[in-house]
Amino acid sequence: MSVDFRIPELETERLRLRLPRMDDLPAHEDFRASPRSKGVGGPFDRPSSFAHLSGIIGQWQLRGYGRWMVADKVTDEPFGVVGIYHPADWPEPEIGWSIYANAEGRGIAHEAALATRDYVYDTLGWDRIVSLIMADNDRSIRLAHRMGCTKTTAFVHPELGHLDIWVHAKPGGTA
Amino acid sequence: MTMTLQTERLVLRQPHGGDADAIIAYYNTERSQYTGGNLGRFNAWKQTAAMLGHWDIAGYGLWAVTARGNDDILGLVGPFYPAGWPETEVGWVVFEGSEGKGYAFEAAKAALADARSRLGWRDIVHYIAPENARSIKLAERLGAVRDPDAATPKPDDPCLVYRQPKVAA
Repeated sequence: MSVDFRIPELETERLRLRLPRMDDLPAHEDFRASPRSKGVGGPFDRPSSFAHLSGIIGQWQLRGYGRWMVADKVTDEPFGVVGIYHPADWPEPEIGWSIYANAEGRGIAHEAALATRDYVYDTLGWDRIVSLIMADNDRSIRLAHRMGCTKTTAFVHPELGHLDIWVHAKPGGTA
Repeated sequence: MTMTLQTERLVLRQPHGGDADAIIAYYNTERSQYTGGNLGRFNAWKQTAAMLGHWDIAGYGLWAVTARGNDDILGLVGPFYPAGWPETEVGWVVFEGSEGKGYAFEAAKAALADARSRLGWRDIVHYIAPENARSIKLAERLGAVRDPDAATPKPDDPCLVYRQPKVAA
């Protein structure tokens, strides 16, 4: 059996959502070691970041969908990780976003999350996609509001604690 | 193209999503405690995803060990060099039910030769937990010698370093 698999790339106005690569690792390490990663369970030690970046690719193999490295469409500079996150014992697939400091305040998470949402609803044809957000992650909650998400139930993860489940509006349909 | 290594009894191939249940099950067992396991399901799953992705991000990784004529994964053996690892390693784990048959030795010999010839690795080590007597024996059988001065991957985790003799490339 061949393990060749292709990760679909997405393009937006300013961004390319592509496969993570080894040369994204320093930026990914910086993010995970910084307080910015608090909203996703961090900060994490640097050595763990290689496995984490590899695991982003591995999830595509395990699930057939996953997260992308969000990069500048022109310069290819990595801006963060956005896409469909779905590890074991997760209540359902979710749109996750982790944006590096260099991309802060530029609407990049929003642009990439919208592209992911469209991919989920239009390309994958799913009926529902959510985002799991910690109650004190104000930035992510703001983005959820901006995307028209509705807060519903919660999920308590044994390691990460309480996560609110926000349902993403389906464009042209009912959320 | 899928690369394989062939030995007398084994085929080593790239692991894929179909191996995941067996790999997750392994990393979720207590007997995986010496090889970065005993993790619980959530982390065992993440570890497995990382193991699969290692191939894509690095161009190589631990091989899935299978018996000739049967594609089921029996263990993982091969080159492993995550960022932050002091040196290039060839590692091994054999899943429950496939130990005691010399598979790890046979697979590791092939993986070592391939790491030297194809990857050009010169300094190859094996990182082994001090309590892991079986792996220590295997490392010695593979010609490695303990290097008490070598750096270890995680300062807080006691670990022995067994070093392969340098072989001309």
